[in-house]
Amino acid sequence: MTERIFILLIIVFIGFSCRNSKSKSAEFVFPQSDSVPVSEAEKLSPEAIADISKNISSPVEIANLLQKLQVPFSQNYLAESIDANKQSTNFDKALKLGILGADLGYLNMYEKTGSSLDVLSSIRKISEDIKVGQFFDFESIKRLSKNRSNLDSLLFISIDSYNKIDNYLRSNDRGQLSALMIIGVWIEGQFLATQVVNQFPDKMLIDRIGEQKIILNDLLLLISPYCNRDPEFTSLCKDMQDIKEKYHDIRITYTQGEPVSVEKDGGLTIKQTETSVVTMSKEQLNGVIEITKNIRDRLILNN
Amino acid sequence: MNKSILTLAILFTFGLLSFGQVTDPLISKCATNAGANCRYLKDFRIQLGKASTQSELRYKANMSLWKNTRYRFTMCNADNSKGQLILSIKDESNKQILSSFDKKTGKIYPFIDFECQKSGIYQISYDFNNWQQGSGVGVVSMVK
Repeated sequence: MTERIFILLIIVFIGFSCRNSKSKSAEFVFPQSDSVPVSEAEKLSPEAIADISKNISSPVEIANLLQKLQVPFSQNYLAESIDANKQSTNFDKALKLGILGADLGYLNMYEKTGSSLDVLSSIRKISEDIKVGQFFDFESIKRLSKNRSNLDSLLFISIDSYNKIDNYLRSNDRGQLSALMIIGVWIEGQFLATQVVNQFPDKMLIDRIGEQKIILNDLLLLISPYCNRDPEFTSLCKDMQDIKEKYHDIRITYTQGEPVSVEKDGGLTIKQTETSVVTMSKEQLNGVIEITKNIRDRLILNN
Repeated sequence: MNKSILTLAILFTFGLLSFGQVTDPLISKCATNAGANCRYLKDFRIQLGKASTQSELRYKANMSLWKNTRYRFTMCNADNSKGQLILSIKDESNKQILSSFDKKTGKIYPFIDFECQKSGIYQISYDFNNWQQGSGVGVVSMVK
């Protein structure tokens, strides 16, 4: 009898141990359904949409990572073929505004402020066309671009201008243009990262590309209400869905840990000990690089 | 007389229209205060009345934070703010990662540096200490 109780206790103990070890790591998975149903996306409140758009990372973060990795600047990554005068629809204009915004962030971060003036004039033309030019303080940006010592102010004004446009479009029932702008920024940032990784296959950059899986669903949620609006939107939704498929088998797992805090210079520094780990094969990475390039190159073609 | 009223009306209208396009001075001041080694990413403008219940921080937003990045969260209060802005961050599993308010000592930190090692979408919450009425700005920057 005592022996049986002992065996039972061991089984219970092993059972608990296994459960605990399982909770020490988790994995990021896409929500059950492969695509976001339009009806679900339509239910999103303006606050939820605002939240999603704020949540998408800034292209400046990718450019910052490239600088950290000492990747040299390259003009070849820029969407130089975009002709602001040849954008016929609001769809094209808003998408290109996003793409050019990402390029502007990249140029500014590398202090290529002379070249950024050309991008800036395209941004000016397009933003005036869709009646959001008033949110760009072009004169200040131009002045700061000529004076390299004010890089932080330049970055602040540029990002702030895009944030204002985004807020304005969403609060004036032009959320579809805001979604396009955000998608444009993301695609160009993704293009930049995937092109660089071809030449500089750094682990940190490879991981950052893989980690984009985390926000892909939010990007799809943002655009889903407009997928049946017109053929241009339908095609873009398909492109985003194709990108998502390439990410399907890329794994992101997490290890547990408690944050460590230290008081320093009047503030608090928190070091996270939990980590995210990306598992992505060379083939999977190549698949993401290829699809990103195909889609982005098609999007920057002039009509 | 009519002419002056008309002029005033035009000035007022244009003043209002252009007001919406000017950057909130508290935001630009707070972004500058973050430090010369920081690069601005986002801001959150928070204006809250006195809370009727004292449970959770009331202003909530989501933000993606990326591994191997050091973020600085700077909190700034408007001159007329009764309360001081405080911040709390939770991860996707609702686990608190950090807070600018130390419950034990009552200390409120004006900024927090967060060395992110786990990429993900985090919930960022703001409120004013003791759930008071307040007005402030939370700026998120990257530390170079």
